Amino acid sequence: MEHAIQNPARRTFIKASALVGGGLALGVSLPSMAHQHLGSDFNPSAFIHLYKNGDVVLFCGRCEMGQGISTALPAAVADEMEADWSRVTVKQGEGNAEKYGPQATGGSASIVTMYEPMRQAGATAKLMLIAAAAKVWRVSAEECEASNHVVIHTPSQKTLGYGELAELAAVQEVVEAPTLKDKSQFKYIGKALPRHDQSMVVVGERTYGVDTKVPGMRYAAIVHCPVLGGKLKSLDDTDARAVAGVIDVVTIPRLDVPFGSVGGVAVVADNSWTAQKAVKALVVEWESGPNGNYDTKAYRAQLIANVEKPAEKVAERGDLTAAFETAEHKVSATYTGGHLCHAPMEPNASVVWVKDGSAEVWASTQSPEDIQNVLGDYLGIEPKDVYVHVMMSGGAFGRKFKCDYVQEAAAISKHINAPVQLIWTREEDMRTGYYHSINAQHIEASMDADGNVTGWLHRAAFPSISSLFNPALERAPANSLGEIENHPFGIANLRSETGEAPAHTRIGWYRAVYAIFYGFAYGSIADELAHKAGMDTVTFLHKLYDNNKNPEHKEQVARSKAVLQLAADKAGFGRKLPPGEGIGIAVHHSFRSYVAMAVHVRVTGDKIEVLNVDCAVDCGQVLNKDGATAQQEGAVVMGMSLSLYTEIVFKNGAVVNSNFHDYPVLRINEMPNVRVHFVDSDYPPTGLGEPGVAPFPAALTNAIFAASGTRHRDLPIKPMAI
Amino acid sequence: MSSVTINGKEYPIDVAPDMPLLWFLRDRLELTGTKFGCGSGLCGACTVHIDGTATRSCVMPISAVAGRSITTIEGLSENGDHPVQKAWLKHQVPQCGYCQAGQIMNAASFLANNKQPSEQDIEAAMQGNICRCGTYQRIKLAIADAADELAKEV
Ligand code: FES
Ligand code: FES
Repeated sequence: MEHAIQNPARRTFIKASALVGGGLALGVSLPSMAHQHLGSDFNPSAFIHLYKNGDVVLFCGRCEMGQGISTALPAAVADEMEADWSRVTVKQGEGNAEKYGPQATGGSASIVTMYEPMRQAGATAKLMLIAAAAKVWRVSAEECEASNHVVIHTPSQKTLGYGELAELAAVQEVVEAPTLKDKSQFKYIGKALPRHDQSMVVVGERTYGVDTKVPGMRYAAIVHCPVLGGKLKSLDDTDARAVAGVIDVVTIPRLDVPFGSVGGVAVVADNSWTAQKAVKALVVEWESGPNGNYDTKAYRAQLIANVEKPAEKVAERGDLTAAFETAEHKVSATYTGGHLCHAPMEPNASVVWVKDGSAEVWASTQSPEDIQNVLGDYLGIEPKDVYVHVMMSGGAFGRKFKCDYVQEAAAISKHINAPVQLIWTREEDMRTGYYHSINAQHIEASMDADGNVTGWLHRAAFPSISSLFNPALERAPANSLGEIENHPFGIANLRSETGEAPAHTRIGWYRAVYAIFYGFAYGSIADELAHKAGMDTVTFLHKLYDNNKNPEHKEQVARSKAVLQLAADKAGFGRKLPPGEGIGIAVHHSFRSYVAMAVHVRVTGDKIEVLNVDCAVDCGQVLNKDGATAQQEGAVVMGMSLSLYTEIVFKNGAVVNSNFHDYPVLRINEMPNVRVHFVDSDYPPTGLGEPGVAPFPAALTNAIFAASGTRHRDLPIKPMAI
Repeated sequence: MSSVTINGKEYPIDVAPDMPLLWFLRDRLELTGTKFGCGSGLCGACTVHIDGTATRSCVMPISAVAGRSITTIEGLSENGDHPVQKAWLKHQVPQCGYCQAGQIMNAASFLANNKQPSEQDIEAAMQGNICRCGTYQRIKLAIADAADELAKEV
């Protein structure tokens, strides 16, 4: 999804106006939007309001789901504005792309696109406040400075609070290109800031999508067609309708658009539990359709076969045949991974109220714009007539990009002519996903006598996200393998190929996306090659990066090497460990950030204990250190779940897993000690939500190899027998 | 009609007897601080106290708690100042926050019974509470802190 990141060098547009009731409002348009709207209507993507009581509220169109955007961005505003941090809060803007610009939140891109514009807006607000104070005092603005929510007239030490100045500030001139602070002057950016919203969480007052209550609202539960492309064969709802409190049973046909329902039967009742109970009383038979034979065990075997034979060429450079012929060593290995489901703790939920010619939606979502488009199409109304209240998500990890659950609620609301809340049960959430691709990669690499990698054949086969938009795709398209030719390892002779892998279920973005399996394959084979060359992995990796002579990769190489060394140093890579223990290391560059992890394990028989994880991170300037650290800790937990345990299994076209007993995500008793180290970086800030997941699996399997001599090439390492 | 006390207030049980306490709280009383995560006793998101003991409300029929006293996250403390809540803020535990009501309720009940927990005790007690955002490291630190705080209070 990196292509979605806009060029931050373009100009930001800022416009000031007065607030109703007095106060200053600044609208900020993102660079890309400014580009589109040059000379036309001003179109801000975020708003800063300064009220007469001194409160500052930032309205942000991006969607918070636990990743801390709602702290990092206000920190940037407050810092440049010289505002008091405790007076700044952030409010989630409603779904309105016209007002806020693209709101889809993913690809770890929020920080990238919004950081500079928000700083500029903060700096502009400060200058307008200073100008206002200078007017009041009839002095020159040069004699005034701003600090901690007040403007000070330096010679006389007179002060005026931001709140007092708000109204007058609103009519001052907008400074187009304010000077921004130097890094050394930052008060909030890069510091460990308390997250504003946490005090509401600990008393149970923060509400999520699933907590929405609307007067007159009905409650619904659903059971879905278990096989993609299947349809309803028969339905007997007599028993379900007989459950006290049941209002209606609604059949929802499959909607063949990427984010539409797979088809299901919903029960509407006067509370969620009655609806859930009645769904269980439905007697439903489904026709499986063309994917009725999907079986992930057989499919994975087929993917392996497809990458262990020639496939379709994607990219080539140098002379691979010659490199292989003259090789001193050759290593070849095949790595695989299974489907994953996002399983955020808050299952899919929304309230939809379809009215005459419009619809109102309350949803936990990563993309209100998609809701507007899908519902607009489905209901035959304009997207702008779909009003989306963006609710806080109880986790999302990519799942809440796709609004099939909202479209279903719309279908029900339309049918019963009332607002309805549809909450999926955990079972439906797990069985009706947009799964991370099952995957296989085969790498053959050659080395000379000094451990220089000379050739690299890389075949990958996985049902791609593109299949969601083009189900006829037989294999992952070339751009899904771009990572291979652009990888910062220095390899002169290379060929990449894409193996056959048609999709039999819906594939979707999952935190870190393809970087999960690319990171695993690259990190693993580097360790295998180092072993073969008789070198330690850190030295070997440095050499492999140093061999990259592509001038365009200079920055990537330097930053990769820096995180590698930092992780190695912090973990004490190479030190003597007790028998049965080992440290493994891996580096990965994704979403414009660089992360290396050193994982320290103890292996006793079948038991794998992860003791310590040292994460070295270069995500450019760190905006909120504590939040960034938390994101890494979370990435380790997710990395550990998917490396060790979690896998979605299909049999006869349908998902076999059903709840957390057979999709065993990591629990606290296995939590390692995670230490996060940031590279002091002047690069612009880049994302954190995703890149931390990528290096973990290989660092873990490399550590297991170091500890026990066993090499794991298939994830998860300990799949459940279900 | 039988009744149940929730956060100090008495409510008549005017729903089907097999409705789980979770849904009585969420849909009948619209007390939504207690969360639905799995519905099967597997994740801990729905944890409340029944007569002081941490219990999964998603698998507890309302009829089984008639006459008993329930505390939810909204009623854990008067001003959000229970030592566990304070420790949670100090360590900035929540990410999305969705699992945290359950985590806090479980931790509070556990600490009431174990004044000097070891790391293993904490892990064993908190194993039933899943956090998909991965806040476990901070939960462990926060509970250890809260234990120290509680020890001082006595
Ligand atoms: S919702 Fe009760 S344990 Fe998960
Ligand atoms: S904080 Fe998100 S699930 Fe725990």
